[in-house]
Amino acid sequence: MSSPVEPANDTHATSGTGRSVRFRVSRFKRGDRKPHYQDYAVEVAPGTTVLDALTAIRRDQDPTLILRHSCYHASCGTCGMRVNDTEVLACVTEVAGLDGGTVKVDPIANQRLVADLVTDMVDFYDKFTAVDQPLVRDSDAIPAATVPPGVPGFTRFENCIECGLCLSACPIVATDPRYLGPAGLAAAQRVLEEPREADAFSVLRLTDDPQAAWRCHLAFECTAVCPSNVDPAGAIMFLRRRLASDRVKSIFGSGRRP
Amino acid sequence: MIVGGGGTGGALAHDLALRGLRITLVERGEITSGTTGRHHGLLHSGARYAVKDRESAVECIEENRILRTIAPGSFELNDGLFVALTDEEADYEKLFFESCEASQIPARRVSRAEALRLEPNLNPDLRCAVQVPDGTMDAMRLPLRFFATARRNGADIRPFTEVVGMSMTTPKRVDGVQVVDRASGRRYDIGADLVVNAAGPWGEKIARMGGVDVPIQPSPGILVAVRGRFANMVINRLHASGDGDIVVPQRELSVIGTSSWVTDDPDHLAVPADHVEAMFREGSAMIPSLRGATMRASWSAARPLIGERGASTGRELSRTFKCFDHEAEDGVSGFITIAGGKATTLRAMAEATADMVCRKLGVDRPCATRNTELLPHTAYYA
Amino acid sequence: MSERATGAGPGLDLRARGERISPRRRGAWGWVDVRGRRLGQWAFILNRLTGLGLLVYLFLHLGVLSMLAVGPGAWDGFVSTALTPAFLALDVVLIFGLLFHGLNGLRITLVGLGLVVNRQQALFVALMVFGAIALLIAGLRIFAVG
Repeated sequence: MSSPVEPANDTHATSGTGRSVRFRVSRFKRGDRKPHYQDYAVEVAPGTTVLDALTAIRRDQDPTLILRHSCYHASCGTCGMRVNDTEVLACVTEVAGLDGGTVKVDPIANQRLVADLVTDMVDFYDKFTAVDQPLVRDSDAIPAATVPPGVPGFTRFENCIECGLCLSACPIVATDPRYLGPAGLAAAQRVLEEPREADAFSVLRLTDDPQAAWRCHLAFECTAVCPSNVDPAGAIMFLRRRLASDRVKSIFGSGRRP
Repeated sequence: MIVGGGGTGGALAHDLALRGLRITLVERGEITSGTTGRHHGLLHSGARYAVKDRESAVECIEENRILRTIAPGSFELNDGLFVALTDEEADYEKLFFESCEASQIPARRVSRAEALRLEPNLNPDLRCAVQVPDGTMDAMRLPLRFFATARRNGADIRPFTEVVGMSMTTPKRVDGVQVVDRASGRRYDIGADLVVNAAGPWGEKIARMGGVDVPIQPSPGILVAVRGRFANMVINRLHASGDGDIVVPQRELSVIGTSSWVTDDPDHLAVPADHVEAMFREGSAMIPSLRGATMRASWSAARPLIGERGASTGRELSRTFKCFDHEAEDGVSGFITIAGGKATTLRAMAEATADMVCRKLGVDRPCATRNTELLPHTAYYA
Repeated sequence: MSERATGAGPGLDLRARGERISPRRRGAWGWVDVRGRRLGQWAFILNRLTGLGLLVYLFLHLGVLSMLAVGPGAWDGFVSTALTPAFLALDVVLIFGLLFHGLNGLRITLVGLGLVVNRQQALFVALMVFGAIALLIAGLRIFAVG
């Protein structure tokens, strides 16, 4: 396998494939009044992703195009974009699987646009860090496994990769800057399920707010676009069930404060 | 002035900021968008190098321990297994185990039966295994902790700022960099007392802007991520070295790596079909159910290996790192290059480079990064 | 590594200088743009539209009822308008609004309290199918009257 020759058979080729696709990419530089679209043509192979095509445009046609990317495998969350109006991670979106002759690429919505496809995620993190969710959780994979000596218990990273696709798809985030949002609420639900060092009680109180768990209107678009199995809408409903049952218990219960 | 926003650049910015220097770091894309963000996320125990490259192994296990201390909560800490599948590999196990011990890598011999209890999805034909303190890091978020801390301590981190030339008053003196702010298109200069080239596989391109040459050989390898967490521990093949001999669990994915070839252009990395197939083949030799897994992504990343051009595959180049003082080596002052290394040793690379920086600038401050806990990665966005 | 040159570029660090890039929230466009969106967005939009529609209807209805106070002439005039096919069609639209808003509202109430969450899309579809049948029957009966 290891060979001195440049390998052939590039499954992600961006030239020499004979299949050309038009990309309509949103462009914006600081000082512009508003974004405009610019068209590029890129040849693609069956495995070529939107990210491959965009980096090929930057490399071969237009070095002024900027975009965020890092891990190339849906784990860092930086390459979130709207491709043909749907929120996706560009690194795992194959061009061949998209409908239509033109691929439209826009930055994710409801964040601050720096330039082209690059957003500043400061608003996402303002909300997300209000919950202070640990990065790591117990691993639920392979229940039959024994834990080796020296390891306290199997752990893994939480599913959320902080990509912001959920906030981009949510109609409430589109209009209300005060809404805690799907990512923050999903993080809160995880803290309640597995507190670790976090303060579960104050997180619960944080979610019991008209601008938190109760602000959602159940469009479920966040869950539809999440690339990492977080199911934020499901998490919000879990929180509501918990909050509602706590409220009912406190009305019909012993009268003691929770 | 640090050119390059990968793990090395970030760790260096953090180290120098703690020593009181005023730092500007420029990166042409997103932080860690070069090689750093793309690796499989292995927190190296060093075991893979124990037999052939003792120096690397010792360095790795030491940095492994330090990272666990300074970046708590940033790893999947489930240890790893080196698994012998053939008689030859079972024979190799003794040398492997002893080399780990000699490198101070805590290792434990594991029988076939126990290995299958720890990881039920392993190939039942395995002979034996060795447990080592491997782990998984988030390839972007761990370095981002260094950036967050550096920024909080005053470093000026500028992504989407591309270096297009060196400012040189004479051909023998670098005074700063010429950049383009890609967010606005504006060109400007940034002066610096010393420019550090930490651009990874692009290091040679940057070096040439300063009129020097560094022997960096971009050495790409392929990686394949599949859906499903087939093991909680990092699974390695117990052999000298080869392709597709590691499976790193990460969240709900399993990342199979890797291969090795050489290239001239780190911006143009192929993802060859036969390498993808090889990953599935070699990976499923260790974990048979990998064969039927759905592929989430396939990609390539270029290791910035130091070696002379003309290396054949990249496997024979050393994985250690080196600082090049261009004043001493090439007569060009105000300019140094750090190259080589691997993700786990980012802090050590930064320490060595920062020591050289301080020596050249006449700053007498010791390194403080071994014991300084890093801010959470979210602080980068604050 | 002191920075000596002039005209320093801001990179992403505009906050330090007091400048802020303003957030680009989609605003009400994020409510109505269905491109790239799924069933849930349609439910969201239609809930709003039917809600507004029912509110408008409420006022119209009160207005109509006030004709009773005016006298039999006005009322009879209204009733004859109300039996024209165009008006009956509007009645069907009204029934659609009631059914959609009510049934989707049922979904929102149940799911919004944490019940049936994992099958919520199936629940929506089932309720809509039920609503469609009810609408069909209602439509037939309405036009049978006229």
